[in-house]
Amino acid sequence: MKKITLPLSILFLTLLLVAVSMPACSAGAPEDTGKSITPSAASDAGRILAKRDRVKVATTTSLYDTGLWGFLEPMFEKKYNVELDVLYAGTGKAIEYGTRGDVDVLTIHDKAREEKLVADGIGVKRVPFASNHFIITGPPSDPAGIKGMSPEAAFKTLMEKGKTSPQQVQFISRGDNSGTHSKEKAIWKAAGYEYEDVTKSGPWYVEAGSGMGPTLVMAKEKSAYTVADIGTFLAYKGKLGLASLVDRGAILLNVYSVIPINPDKVPGTNLKMAENMVDFLTSPEIQTLIGKYGADEYGEQLFTPSAGAEPVE
Amino acid sequence: MEEIGAAFVTALKLIITGDPEVLSITLRSIIISGSATILSALIFIPAGSAVFFSEFPGKKGLVNLINTLFSVPTVFVGLVVFIAISRSGPLGGLGLLFTPGAMVTAQALLISPVITGLSISALSGVRPEIKDTALSLGASRVQIAITMLREVRYAMAVVVLAGFGRAISEVGAGIMVGGNIRGYTRTLTTAMSLETSMGNIEFSMALGIILITIALFVSIIVYRLQRL
Amino acid sequence: MINIRQLNKFYGGRQILRDINLNIDAEEVFSFIGPSGAGKTTLLRLIDLLERPTSGTILYKGVNTAASENIRIETRRKMAMVFQRPAMFGASVFDNVAYGLKVRGEKNPRLADRVGKAIQDVGLAGYEEQDARTLSGGEIQRVALARALVISPEVLLLDEPTANLDPVSTVTIEKLIMKIIGEMNITVIMSTHDMAQGQRLAGKIAVMMEGRILQTGDPGLVFNKPENHLVARFVGVENIFEGNISSNSDGLVNVAFGPHVLEGISDLSAGEKVNIFLRPEEITLTPSRTATSARNSFRGEIMRISLNGPLARVELDCGFPMIALITRRSAEELNLQKGQNVYASFKATQVHIIKR
Repeated sequence: MKKITLPLSILFLTLLLVAVSMPACSAGAPEDTGKSITPSAASDAGRILAKRDRVKVATTTSLYDTGLWGFLEPMFEKKYNVELDVLYAGTGKAIEYGTRGDVDVLTIHDKAREEKLVADGIGVKRVPFASNHFIITGPPSDPAGIKGMSPEAAFKTLMEKGKTSPQQVQFISRGDNSGTHSKEKAIWKAAGYEYEDVTKSGPWYVEAGSGMGPTLVMAKEKSAYTVADIGTFLAYKGKLGLASLVDRGAILLNVYSVIPINPDKVPGTNLKMAENMVDFLTSPEIQTLIGKYGADEYGEQLFTPSAGAEPVE
Repeated sequence: MEEIGAAFVTALKLIITGDPEVLSITLRSIIISGSATILSALIFIPAGSAVFFSEFPGKKGLVNLINTLFSVPTVFVGLVVFIAISRSGPLGGLGLLFTPGAMVTAQALLISPVITGLSISALSGVRPEIKDTALSLGASRVQIAITMLREVRYAMAVVVLAGFGRAISEVGAGIMVGGNIRGYTRTLTTAMSLETSMGNIEFSMALGIILITIALFVSIIVYRLQRL
Repeated sequence: MINIRQLNKFYGGRQILRDINLNIDAEEVFSFIGPSGAGKTTLLRLIDLLERPTSGTILYKGVNTAASENIRIETRRKMAMVFQRPAMFGASVFDNVAYGLKVRGEKNPRLADRVGKAIQDVGLAGYEEQDARTLSGGEIQRVALARALVISPEVLLLDEPTANLDPVSTVTIEKLIMKIIGEMNITVIMSTHDMAQGQRLAGKIAVMMEGRILQTGDPGLVFNKPENHLVARFVGVENIFEGNISSNSDGLVNVAFGPHVLEGISDLSAGEKVNIFLRPEEITLTPSRTATSARNSFRGEIMRISLNGPLARVELDCGFPMIALITRRSAEELNLQKGQNVYASFKATQVHIIKR
C-alpha cells in the first residue's frame, strides 16, 4: 500500500500530459497563422482554454470543401482578434444550428429559406456576398446524353433514361436538405415533376445524405449524375474524373449569403461579431480575394464576388 | 492496390516528418479522449463501486442494464448531449456545444457504462476472503471499499484503458457535438471522416495508422496488466 | 468475557447453528472441535461479528454486541481472526501486517516498530518487502498470525490454523500459537477438526456436530469421558457397545453386552441400559492370557493390521468387533499376523459407561 498504485499513476501521467500539451497542441496547427498576441504559445493556450472571444459560423459544405473558409478564417481572426470556429454543414443543418442559437452567423445558399429566416426574425438580414453556378455533372461518357441541354430538359432525360435502364443511368441526390438539395428540387419542379414522385421513381435515384464532397465521390464511384456547385466541383475535379455536362441556365444560379443571427430572438448569440463577419465578407479587400480564390489552382474562378447586391445570371 | 501502397507511403512520410497538422490532431485526440476517460473514471469508478458495495432491490437488473449499455450507439449519445448543451437545451447557458468540452462530455458519457460495468465486474473478481480479512482486521465500510479497489488496481487500469480505447476511436458523438472545427475540435476520427470524404486518402491513412498504433499500445498495456 | 445465548444461524433455509450457549472466559484457550460442516467456522465468524446471527445474543464483556453498528466495529477491533485459508492483500508482507494498525490510524514511527516486531515474532524478519502472495502456505499462515497479533487483540480467533499445511509447517504454527498463549494475556478461540491438536493447544474444548455443541469441558474430560456416542466417536473412541448393567458392587459393575460381560466402574445401578466406550489405545494385546491387573480380557482373531505412523491399528474379532491401537514396535515384537489369535485386555477403569 506504500506503492503508488498503477491507475493513479496513469491518471496522473495523463493529467500531466494534458497540462503539458495544452499549449503544444495547437502550436503546430497551420491555421494558427494570424495571431495578434505574442508570444504565440500563450495565445495558443488561450485558444484552447477559450478565454478569447469565440465566434461560430455555420457554413454550407461547398464553401468549406472548396477551402475558401480555411483561407479566410485566419484573416478574420487576425482582424477582429477572435477565435473563429467554422462548422461545415448543409444549409438545412446550418439553419437549424442558427435557430437553436448554437452559432452566431451563417453563410449559406438557399434564397427562399434565407428569406424566411429573416422574415421570422431569427436572421437579422440577408447579405449576398458571392455567387457562382451549379452544374449537372456525370461520367464523361454521358450515357444519358444530356450534354449541352437545358437543366430542365436534362432532368427530364435523366428521369426517362434512369427509369428504363437504371444500370446505365443513375442520379445521386444530396438528400440532406442542403442548399444544393433545394436547388435540385427546384430544377425538378421547373422540369414539371413533383419531388415526392421523383424520390419514388425507382432505384436509379439515390439519396446520399452527405455533403457535396462525399456526394461527388459517390457519383464518381457509381458513374452517376449529380448536381454540384461549380466551386466544389472544381476543387474536386482532379480526384473525380467527372465531366461538367450542363452549366447554362438561369435556374443554376448559386448565391451565397451571410446572415447574422438575431440575439433578441435567439439569446446568447454574438451579434457584434456576426456584423463584423458581414462587413468582413463584403469588404472590397476580401471581395477581391474571393474573386481570385482558386483561380490559380483550378484554372478558373470559383466565386464571383457580389458585394451585397443580389447577383443575376 | 497501387493507390493504397502509395497512400501508405505518403501517410508514413507525414507521420515520420512530424507533419504539424497530423501531430496536433493526434495530441488533441489524446487530450480530449484522455480527459473524457479521466472524468468518466473519476465519476463512474466510484459509482460502480457504490453499486457493487450496496444492496438494493433491482441491483441485478441495473447491472444488466449497464452491461447492455456498453454498446450504446455513439450517435445516440451525441444526439442526447447535443440536445442537452445546445443553446436552446437545458444546459445551453454553458455555451459548451462545438467545444472540446462538449466532446469530453459526450465521450465521458459514452464510456460511462463501460467504466461502471467493468468496475463492478472487476470488484466482483475479488476473493470474498479479502473483504472478510479487512473486516476482521477492523476496517470500516469505506476502508474495506478502498482496500478492495486497491486489490483490483490493475484490473481498474484495464477498465480505464478500455474506456480510453472506446473514447478515442468513436466518431459519431464527437463530430455531432464537437462540430469537427479545424484546430479546435478536430480529432483523429473526425478528421479521418472529413478527409476521406474529401478524397484526401493519404492524410486519412496517416491518421488511421496513428489511431491503430494508439489502440495497439493500449492493448499491449492491457495485456501486460492482466498478466500481473 | 464472551457469553453466547441461544444463538441460531440460518443460511437460506439451512440451519447452520442450533441453540448455541457458551461462556468463554478471559485468557482462556478455547477450541471448537468437530468434523467439517459442524458449524465451527460460522460460530467463529459470528463471534468476530463478521456476520449477524439469525437469533440469539453475543455479549462481549457484558455488552450486547448487536446494540449498534458502532459497538460492533469497536468490539470487532478488539479481536483479530486468522482464517482457515488466509487471504493476502496484493501487497508486501509489511503492508499486510500493517493493515490493522493503519485502519486504526496508527502512524509511523510506532507503526513501523510494531509491524517490524510482529514480523520478527513470527520468524519472517527479512521478508518485509516481499509480495505476500508469493509466499508458501506456512509463511502465509505466519503473516496472517502477525497481521492479527500486531494490533494486540484481546481475543484471537483461529479457524483451523493448520488444516491446509504440511506436517512441518503445522509444527511451526503450533509452536507459534503456544508461544503466543504463553507470552500474551490473550483469549484464544480456535477451531480444529484434529482432536489431538485441540488437546495439545486448548484449555477447554467444545465438541460440535451438525450445528450443536454436544459437550464442553477440559480436553481430558471430553476425551476420556464423552457424554454420548457421537462425541465418543469423534474423540476417537472406536469401541462402542450397547449393554445392560447386570450388577453393581461398590461401583464395580458387570456389564452384559450380547453373550459377553465386561467389568467397569460406574455408579449406575443394575438394570440400567448403557453405552460402553473403550478407547482403542487402552487395549493391550498379548499372545496368551497372562496374569495382569486388567480385569477384562477377550480372545480374538486378528482380522486386519494397518499401520498408522508410529502406531498399528489392529482389528479383532472377539465374537464382537474390537479395535486396538498399539505401537508399531510392540506389533513387531509380538510378530502379529492376520489370522492369529491374541488376547485383548483392558482395565476396568478405562471402560467409560454412560446411560443410554
